[in-house]
Amino acid sequence: MIVVSALALAAASAVAAGLFARRAWFLVRLVRAGKPVDRTADVGRRVRNEATIVLGQRKLFQRLGPGLVHALIFWGFLVLFPTILLAVLGVIDRDGFIPSGAPLAWLARQGWFVLLVDVFAVLVLIGVVAALWIRKVQRPPRFKGSHLGEADLILGLIAGIVSTLLLWHAARIALDLNEAPAGWSPVSNPLSSLFGTGTATEVLERVFVWAHVLLILGFLAYLPHSKHLHIATAAINVFFGRTRARGRLEPLDFEAEDEADLRFGAGTVADLTWKQMLDAMSCTECGRCQDVCPAYATGKALSPKLLIMGVRDHLFREGSQVLAGGELSPLVPNAVTDDVVWDCVTCGACVHECPVSIEHVDHIVDMRRHLVMVESRFPAEAETMLRDVERGGNPWGKPQPERAAWADGLGVRVLLPGDPAPEVLYWVGCAASFDERARASAVATAKLLLAAGLDVAILGPRESCTGDPARRMGNEYVFQSFARENVATLNESGVTKIVASCPHCFNTLANEYPDFGGRYEVVHHTELLAELVRDGRLAPVAGSEEIVYHDSCYLARHNDVISAPRELVSRIGKPLEMARSGKRTFCCGAGGAHMWMEERGSQINEERAREAAATGAGTLAVACPFCTLMLDDGVRQTGSDMRVADVSVLLAEALE
Amino acid sequence: MSVLVFVEHDGGEPTEPALQALTFARGYASGDPVHSLAVGLEPDGLGAYGVGTLHVAEHDVFGSYAPAAVAQAVVELAGRLLPTAVIAAGTDAGNEVMAHVAAKLDLPLAANCVEATPGDPARVTRVRWGGSLLEEAALHAPVKLLTVQPHAVAAIEVPGEGPAVERFAPVLGDADLTVRVVGRTGESAGGVSLSDAKVVVSAGRGAGSPEGFAGVEELAGLLGGAVGCSRAVTMAGWRSHTDQVGQTGTKIAPDLYIACGISGATQHMAGCKGAKAILAINVDRDAPILSSADYAVIGDLHEVVPAISAEIRKARS
Amino acid sequence: MRMLVCVKRVPMTGGKIVLTEDAQAIETRHLGFTISPHEECGVEEAVRLVEQHGGESVVLTLGPPEAVEQLRDAMAIGADRAIHLETDVEEWDPQATAAAIVDAIRADEAASGPFDLVFFGNEAADSGNYQVGTRVAYALGRPVATGLRGVAVGDGTVRCEQEAPGGRDVYELPLPAVVTVKEGLNLPRYPSVPGRLRAQRKPVTVSSPSRPPSRLEKLRLVVPEGQGKEATILGHGPDAAPAVVEVLRELGVLS
Repeated sequence: MIVVSALALAAASAVAAGLFARRAWFLVRLVRAGKPVDRTADVGRRVRNEATIVLGQRKLFQRLGPGLVHALIFWGFLVLFPTILLAVLGVIDRDGFIPSGAPLAWLARQGWFVLLVDVFAVLVLIGVVAALWIRKVQRPPRFKGSHLGEADLILGLIAGIVSTLLLWHAARIALDLNEAPAGWSPVSNPLSSLFGTGTATEVLERVFVWAHVLLILGFLAYLPHSKHLHIATAAINVFFGRTRARGRLEPLDFEAEDEADLRFGAGTVADLTWKQMLDAMSCTECGRCQDVCPAYATGKALSPKLLIMGVRDHLFREGSQVLAGGELSPLVPNAVTDDVVWDCVTCGACVHECPVSIEHVDHIVDMRRHLVMVESRFPAEAETMLRDVERGGNPWGKPQPERAAWADGLGVRVLLPGDPAPEVLYWVGCAASFDERARASAVATAKLLLAAGLDVAILGPRESCTGDPARRMGNEYVFQSFARENVATLNESGVTKIVASCPHCFNTLANEYPDFGGRYEVVHHTELLAELVRDGRLAPVAGSEEIVYHDSCYLARHNDVISAPRELVSRIGKPLEMARSGKRTFCCGAGGAHMWMEERGSQINEERAREAAATGAGTLAVACPFCTLMLDDGVRQTGSDMRVADVSVLLAEALE
Repeated sequence: MSVLVFVEHDGGEPTEPALQALTFARGYASGDPVHSLAVGLEPDGLGAYGVGTLHVAEHDVFGSYAPAAVAQAVVELAGRLLPTAVIAAGTDAGNEVMAHVAAKLDLPLAANCVEATPGDPARVTRVRWGGSLLEEAALHAPVKLLTVQPHAVAAIEVPGEGPAVERFAPVLGDADLTVRVVGRTGESAGGVSLSDAKVVVSAGRGAGSPEGFAGVEELAGLLGGAVGCSRAVTMAGWRSHTDQVGQTGTKIAPDLYIACGISGATQHMAGCKGAKAILAINVDRDAPILSSADYAVIGDLHEVVPAISAEIRKARS
Repeated sequence: MRMLVCVKRVPMTGGKIVLTEDAQAIETRHLGFTISPHEECGVEEAVRLVEQHGGESVVLTLGPPEAVEQLRDAMAIGADRAIHLETDVEEWDPQATAAAIVDAIRADEAASGPFDLVFFGNEAADSGNYQVGTRVAYALGRPVATGLRGVAVGDGTVRCEQEAPGGRDVYELPLPAVVTVKEGLNLPRYPSVPGRLRAQRKPVTVSSPSRPPSRLEKLRLVVPEGQGKEATILGHGPDAAPAVVEVLRELGVLS
């Protein structure tokens, strides 16, 4: 009997394992064929992420209810894992199947272990029921576009596996075959009273254990063909996610001699990096990214979830061609349409929300890189910006010699070649230099820094665009020429500390210029101003004005600058918060070079302006020139009379 | 000593720039006789602009525009008259014809002058960057070839009788006959032409999108004018290049130019400097256009333009 | 087909023109440079014609060493090679420019055969002399049509379209010919990065012609006084509408 069982099990296992292995091997080969990317730094943080994000389910708990549901099922499976082995052995030999010295045998006899098993088995079932309730009754919009049938099947399989486990244990207790004292099983024990002690139960005991094992084997074979693959890939994907400098995009190398070795972003699935392939394989279609995407929220074609699903499906469709070196079809428009690629504002809300560390922004930017740099296929209105920035030095098409005109009469030192380096260089940015509304923050910041007695200077016409708009549009080539030029200017002038009032400049200078030899201490103007206020070098008079602060994506989410601006606001007036704040802030709509692109559908900035107006505050404080322009427009377009002003402007007013 | 002026005409009606060129030439000639050359028909009223003798070149080829042939007629006449200067209007056609003349004679040509003083060398002030910069130059040549920047001088009448008219048939070679208009492709789709309109309403990048021009089109319609745009708009593919006002687009001289959301870059101003009056609508009171405009409204064009249209309707009802 | 496009490097001046101390040139420190707009369209047209009919397109410039940047830009969108007539800081007048270009064309045609079409911009954005293309045509003994917004090559002829009131005038010239074109001829493509990388390696033939004395001799440049205009501000936002209508009435445009 044992031999027959063993043979049957072996046969079933071989089939399941074979199917699993064949598919798994295909996926592994695909990932190994992915283009290189370096995610080896910071191992300590990576290990910590495994602990908090994977084991601790931290990102899932960003939504409490669904997070708890998933955590129950996940932790349940961790606890129940040894029972799989026990069940396998139990299939072969019903009685005394474990060598008595083995650790597994010891575990099976522990009361606390069978208690945990029972408790977690029930928790898993509760989780499954809750999940079904969420999906079938509550029906949140984040599931729109996900494969619900597949999810139901998986939930059914999980329920089946756990139920057959409980029933098997119950049957064994009824037959007096339990290894641990029955009293320790609060569920299996009462359940066992359903069964008699006769042959019916003996048969049922075999039925349950075989069902249990076959369900597991079936699940194993099904796993790599379904989104449940995430149980293998997610932990790996989390390990290789970005640990720091989240706002930094990975540079491309244009130096290779052979054109065939150059990578211009992602044109086909063969151009994807191994991390991007892993991203695609880790997606569970949960839709949390879709829920927080500002483009999706305002009716655009982009859903980050559908984007990754599209990439995944295309990857699997063309996978064997990739491995065989055959013909491939372009990702755009076959996996995703052009609209989807251009709708993105690179706010990173999707990346922040994703429980399995998928980095959607990298996919989008890589697709943009190919569209812009190879195919020259991108929104026509952005072409003017690209030409202006490349030849004219700034994306506004304004003449560089007039870049310091805003500073006329303020007494700000313009750093000329050969001058001694200032204590801190104020990097003004193109928007504040040239746009009439953004200029106010440059004027205020300069006045404040001078009033505090800082040795500060600006580069004037020698400051050109950091290249951020070009890079976010996908023109990595133009970006790199800016990076090199600016780094040369900064290094030659001996600058060591930079303060920037634009979060995009701040992000690029701090996180992206080091790749090109530029290593400086970079702070955002709100950080420096907050420090000056704390030190008493600037003493604002507190007011009673209600001020709601809007977090810029590139400050809060990409760079964790959240408390400094709030410190300033609370010293100036009465701070109010919006629901979507801090790292869960809602974009103003200008990121990803959208300042220069037409917006289809309803407006992201109006959505955010309405949210701000709903707080009842009279003033909307921002810390970014793009947010200033977009939200000022948004406020006016929605008929509100809120005042939109940069924190530096409000601070300067509070000093008078 | 005399001066020869090539006079463009539209079916016998001398063009405004041609009359301006005659006024300019009269000043340059300071008392010396002014001859003029026209091809095909005899243009009217040139006596009032100081022309002593009008030479009409007649040839079949002048039934349509043929720049090389016209230039050859100029060259032939100049060979007989030996003027100190040959002058034309600095229009597309005027510059084209004079370029042919200059190439045939291998003499220097000063195009688009605003001022010229005879001498050896002559001193000219000519236009660069479509009008945003002036060049003072010395013209070294036995015969001075010049074209006159349109609207640099006003056409001024003087008392005078109709000119004496002489007709001649220039001797034209095959090469002169090759470059001529052999057909038309009509693509004027009704509506007011940008270069002729008395009122032009333009918008720049501030329009935001092709649909953003709706208000501008409405206002232009109410004023019986044409719609123009800046180069950024045509480069973005929002409107056809035929709507572009600027140095490399269409140069206009309407009675009123309304520029909405246009900052006033030199290349754009080169296209609209000829306007009698300019109204700028802009959110930025420091925009360069405000130092070239007569009137301004500080505000968002999407709010201001519809308000103006509404006010016009109210005024008319 | 063999196409030649002559281009000029011009600064992107923006809002205000500032001169150097000696008033001989525009102050171009911190300014970007580009191919003058009319001839940018010429480059695009030449590249398209070669894509259509096969052959080779060559781009030429008479300009300072930095002008090689514009040659690389032209090659990035598809021109096959370049000729650089390097000059120093002194400006060349239109006759001298044309003569140098004619010499270069004759040299290149002796080696590689005649150019079916030579493209020029109708006028350079900066100097606006309107004559270089025509002079080159006469020196080469070829017909020339100017200010074109349409160019189509047939067998042995080029059909040219020139904008005229109410439509377009059509010329038909036998090849080889010279054409001067205007912006609006086409929408120049945005260069691809592989194109730019390849352009870095395409050949540029450099020579340094000597500048003859100028017969149209620049003495100095002058920025015209803003006619002292200060716009009368009629108001802010939509509230200004009544004041605007009053002005419209005064100007006589409100029928």
